[in-house]
Amino acid sequence: MEFRDYYKILGVERSATADQIKTAYRRLARKYHPDVSKEPNAEAQFKEMQEAYEVLRDPEKRAAYDQLGSEWKSGQSFHPPPDWGSGFEFSGRPAGAGRAGRRQPGATAGGTYSEEEFSDFFSSLFGGGSPFAGARGRAGGRDHHARIDVTLEEAYRGTSRMLELKRPEVKPDGSVELHSHTVRVTIPAGVTEGQLIRLGGQGEPAAGGGSPGDLYLEVHILPDRTFTLENRDVTLTFPVAPWEAALGGSVTVPTLGGPVEMRIPSGAQSGQKLRLRGRGLPGQPPGDQYVQLKVVLPPADSPQAKALYEEMRAKLNFDPRAGGAR
Amino acid sequence: MVRVTQVLEAHVLGEGDWIAVSEICQLCRIDLDAVRELAALGVMSSRERAPGEWQVPATALPRLRVVGRLMQDLGVNVSGAALALELLETQRELEVRLRRLERLVMDY
Repeated sequence: MEFRDYYKILGVERSATADQIKTAYRRLARKYHPDVSKEPNAEAQFKEMQEAYEVLRDPEKRAAYDQLGSEWKSGQSFHPPPDWGSGFEFSGRPAGAGRAGRRQPGATAGGTYSEEEFSDFFSSLFGGGSPFAGARGRAGGRDHHARIDVTLEEAYRGTSRMLELKRPEVKPDGSVELHSHTVRVTIPAGVTEGQLIRLGGQGEPAAGGGSPGDLYLEVHILPDRTFTLENRDVTLTFPVAPWEAALGGSVTVPTLGGPVEMRIPSGAQSGQKLRLRGRGLPGQPPGDQYVQLKVVLPPADSPQAKALYEEMRAKLNFDPRAGGAR
Repeated sequence: MVRVTQVLEAHVLGEGDWIAVSEICQLCRIDLDAVRELAALGVMSSRERAPGEWQVPATALPRLRVVGRLMQDLGVNVSGAALALELLETQRELEVRLRRLERLVMDY
């Protein structure tokens, strides 16, 4: 495992005061907070900062961390010293007091990520138990949260995911170990961006015989190459020939549920939107599909094509700027 | 070889689902006063199912979780988090529209 220089992560001196640490964390949090930031890798950076702040804001943990000495560099191979932990008691933070209660193990699998996880480095120093200290005294277990990435097609048809759920288990000596088990989750058709999926009883087990917490998966729909999504509605840009737009006619249009026949009204224009009712994501009511027409001109790359354009110019008396556009 | 121990059915929290305010507080890590203030600010609706038994629509959960994270991680107060939420949502809507327009322009 690699050493983590928590002071360097927060950009503070080892002698920094609690206020300086708090200010540095808040400044960086504003830059890298996943809800706000556009920085690449913001989420990973933010997790690292949270972990650093978790240690440096807590006098007990900070004192213990400082005992390791200042010679260590980030990324150096690290194992806790044999006598590590003697003389310190990591009491964690009271329930609801803030960060400690927030950091929980969650679900990990392809297409999902856990919101809150400790590094091995943190766990080796402060144990897996500390983050869960906030749950002590509660009748039930905490809820866990994770994000799940699904494609637009999966959102339309429904899908299933294998999730690796990590559960803390208290050993006789009071320390906590994480154990994994894999579950398959069936996700129904019609989930939308930001929607929450509840898996009852799959959160943190209860400490004293109470009910376990729930696992919440927040749906994130991945961008699609063909359709753009807004709520339950999808939009498709659809190329048509000038005569299809001018004369109208029937065309085959892709939808999430497969190709359908659609009638283009005569006199349609490029950019015009046609609606296929109920062809968006399923729901009550289902979303619609919008087909945005894009008139594509045939190239004038042959004598015959040029002759046709010449004939139109001569016979149609058409001025596209007659409406005043210049 | 992955061993699957369980097959779980997901319950999608959608329109028509209401959640007790106490549960909202736990899920979003915000206190009762903050939920009341957010409802007063119009961030979400609420209803009193029985005397003293307030509920919030499940569809508001993602927004309230963002509010909770902003309050805890950035140290902003309720109205500041509500304002940030609205600005973030406006920004996302504009980004979606921008992407759509960019795609249209690229297609031409």
